[in-house]
Amino acid sequence: MEKFMKGKKIDVQAFTLYFGGIIILLAFTIICKINGKDFFSVQNIMNIIQQSAIIGITGIGASIVILTGGIDLSVGSVIAFVGISGGLLLKAGVPLPITIIACLIIGMLIGLFNGYFVSVGKVPAFIVTLGSMQIFRGFTKVLTDGKPVSGFEDSLAALTSGKVFGIPALVYYVFILYAIMIFVTLKTKFGRRLYAIGGNPNAAKLSGVKIRKIEISAYAIAGLFFAIGGICLLSRLSYADPNAGSGYEMDAIAATVLGGIALSGGKGKVGNTLVGALVLGILKCGLQILNVATYWQTVIIGVVIILAVYADKANDRKAE
Amino acid sequence: MKKSFISMFLVVSMIMVMLAGCGQKESSSESTKESTTDSASDSTEETKSESSDYTIGFVPMTLNNEYFIAMCNGAQEKADELGVKLEIQAADSHASAADQLTIVENMITSGVNAICIVPSSSEGLETALKKCEEAGILVFNIDTILDESVTSKVSMDIPFYGTDNKAGGQKAGEYVKENFPKGTITAILTGIETQQNSWDRRDGFMDGAGDAIEVVAVQSANWEVDQGYDAAQNIITANPDLQLIYCCNDSMAIGASKAVKEAGLGDQIKIIGFDGASEALNMVKSGEFIGTVAQDPVQMGKLGVENAVKALNGEEVEQYLDTGSSFITADNVDKQIEYITPYIGE
Repeated sequence: MEKFMKGKKIDVQAFTLYFGGIIILLAFTIICKINGKDFFSVQNIMNIIQQSAIIGITGIGASIVILTGGIDLSVGSVIAFVGISGGLLLKAGVPLPITIIACLIIGMLIGLFNGYFVSVGKVPAFIVTLGSMQIFRGFTKVLTDGKPVSGFEDSLAALTSGKVFGIPALVYYVFILYAIMIFVTLKTKFGRRLYAIGGNPNAAKLSGVKIRKIEISAYAIAGLFFAIGGICLLSRLSYADPNAGSGYEMDAIAATVLGGIALSGGKGKVGNTLVGALVLGILKCGLQILNVATYWQTVIIGVVIILAVYADKANDRKAE
Repeated sequence: MKKSFISMFLVVSMIMVMLAGCGQKESSSESTKESTTDSASDSTEETKSESSDYTIGFVPMTLNNEYFIAMCNGAQEKADELGVKLEIQAADSHASAADQLTIVENMITSGVNAICIVPSSSEGLETALKKCEEAGILVFNIDTILDESVTSKVSMDIPFYGTDNKAGGQKAGEYVKENFPKGTITAILTGIETQQNSWDRRDGFMDGAGDAIEVVAVQSANWEVDQGYDAAQNIITANPDLQLIYCCNDSMAIGASKAVKEAGLGDQIKIIGFDGASEALNMVKSGEFIGTVAQDPVQMGKLGVENAVKALNGEEVEQYLDTGSSFITADNVDKQIEYITPYIGE
C-alpha cells in the first residue's frame, strides 16, 4: 500500500509540473495570437530554451547538492568568477579549448572547497556557500578591479550560437548535459548513494556508504556545472561581466524546487529541474512579449513557484 | 489531484488578470485602442494611421530609479503624441547584460520595429546588437554611450542621445569658481570606482572649479546614501575645517548632508549633488544643498522615440545629440520641479 502511494505521489508531482507547463505554454500561445504575436514559433521556442539554458545548466548542480540535503548559494559568483577568469585567459591569448578546461577546473575546485567545509568541516552548507558566494564575487572584482572584459573573437560567441542543423549549439548542450545527469542520478551507484545520503544519512552510513566522498563529489560536480553555466553565459554575451549571475542562485534553486526536488534532500528527479527552468523561462518570455510591467512579472513568477510546490504537497497534506 | 488542478487554474487566471491589466494600460493611447479592443473585428488595418503601425521597444537600465521613470514617461508622452506603440521592459533589480539580452530577444519576437536602449554597461550588448541587426531592427542608444568596440561589431548606425557628464560636472565647478573664495576646502564623493561617468563628473568639476577649490579628500561611496553618510562623517572628522562637499550623485549627497547636519556644521559645509532627483531638488529648495546638476532624461526619452519614428519613416536622423545639463540652485529650482514633476509623479 505504502509503495503504491509513493508511486502515485511521484506521478502527481510530475503530472502537475508537466500539466502546468503545458497550460502556461498554451495560454501564452493563445493570448499572443490574439494580440497578433507569434509565441509558439520555432524561433521563439529556441529563444526560450537559450534564455533558460544558464539556469537549466546551473540547476543541475543545484539539484545534485539539494538531493544530498545541502544547498549551494555560490552559483552566481562562480558564474562571474569563471566568466572573468575565462575572459582574461582569452584576452591573454590562451586558446579557447584550454580556457574552457581551465574554467571547468576552477569551478570544480570551488566546489571541492565548498564540499570540504560542508562535509569534513561540518559547517552548515548554507553558511559555507554564503561565504564562498562573497569570496568569489570579491575575487572576481579583484581580478579586473571590477571592470568588465570584452572584445572577444567571434569563435567565443560561436561556441553557443553556432548552429547545427539550424539549432543553436547551446540548446544541444542543455539536453546533452541533462541526459548525462539523468543517467548518472538514476542508473549509477553514485546516483543511488546521492539519494541515500540525502534521504536518510544514518541508514546510508550504516550500510557502508562513504558519505564524505559522495557529499564532496556532489559539491564538486555542482561547481563544474556552475562553471559550464559561466562559460555559456560568457559565450552568449561575448562579454565578461563582474556582476554577472547575481541572483542566479535563487533562480537555480527555484527551478529545482519547481521541478519537484525536495529541499530536505533525497527526493525528486534531476530531469524535472529542466522542466522547472523552462517553465520559468516560458513565463518570463511570455510576460515580456505581452509587455507586462516588469514588477508584475516578478510577482507572477513568485506566485507560480509557491503554487507549484503547494500543488506538489497535496498528498502530504492528505496524509496528515 | 484536485488541488493541483485548482492551483494550476489559479496560476492561469492570475496571468489572465495581469494580461487584462496590461491591455488596459495599452488602451490609454488612442491609436492602440482599436487594435486591442477591436482585434476581433476586421477594420483594424484601415483605422491605423501610417505611423501607428510602429511599435518601439524601450529598455531603460532599471525602473528602480526616478531618473529612468522620468525618461520612460518622456518616451511614452512622445509615443502617444506620434501615435506609436511603446513597449517598456527593464531588468528588475540589477542592471544586467544577460537580462537586457533576453529583453531584446523577446522584443524582437514581439515584433518591435525599433529599440531604444540604455545599456547596463557600455560593452555588454554585442550579442543583442547583432540580433537586432539580423532582424532588421533599428537601435537607438540612450543616456549611456555604447563602447566603440561593441558598435564596430555591427554595420548599422546606432545614434546616441544623452548627456556629456563631464560638461555637467564642469557647470557645477564653474558655479563654485564664481561663488566661492579661492582655496575652498573641498571633499569629493565619487561613485563606483570603475565607472566612466563617475570619473567624468569628478574631472569635469575639478576642471570647472580650478583653483577655487583645495581638494583634501576624494572617496568613493558607490552611489549609495548610507555610504555617502559614512564617508562624509569620516572626512569631516579628518578635516574639521571642510567647506564644501561635491558628490557625483544625489544619493551620496543626501547621505553627506545628514552627516553634516549631525555634526552641526550646516552653515560651514555646503553640499552639491548631481542628477537633479526630486528629493535633491527639495533639498536645494530648503537650502540643504546649494545645488545639483540636472540632466534631462525626459528629453532623452522623447528624442529616442521621435527619431526612431523618423528613421522608420525613412527620414535622416541625428547621429549624436547632447541633451545638455543645467546647474540647479535656489534661483531656478522651482522651474525645474515644475518641469520634472509631471514625469515622475503618478
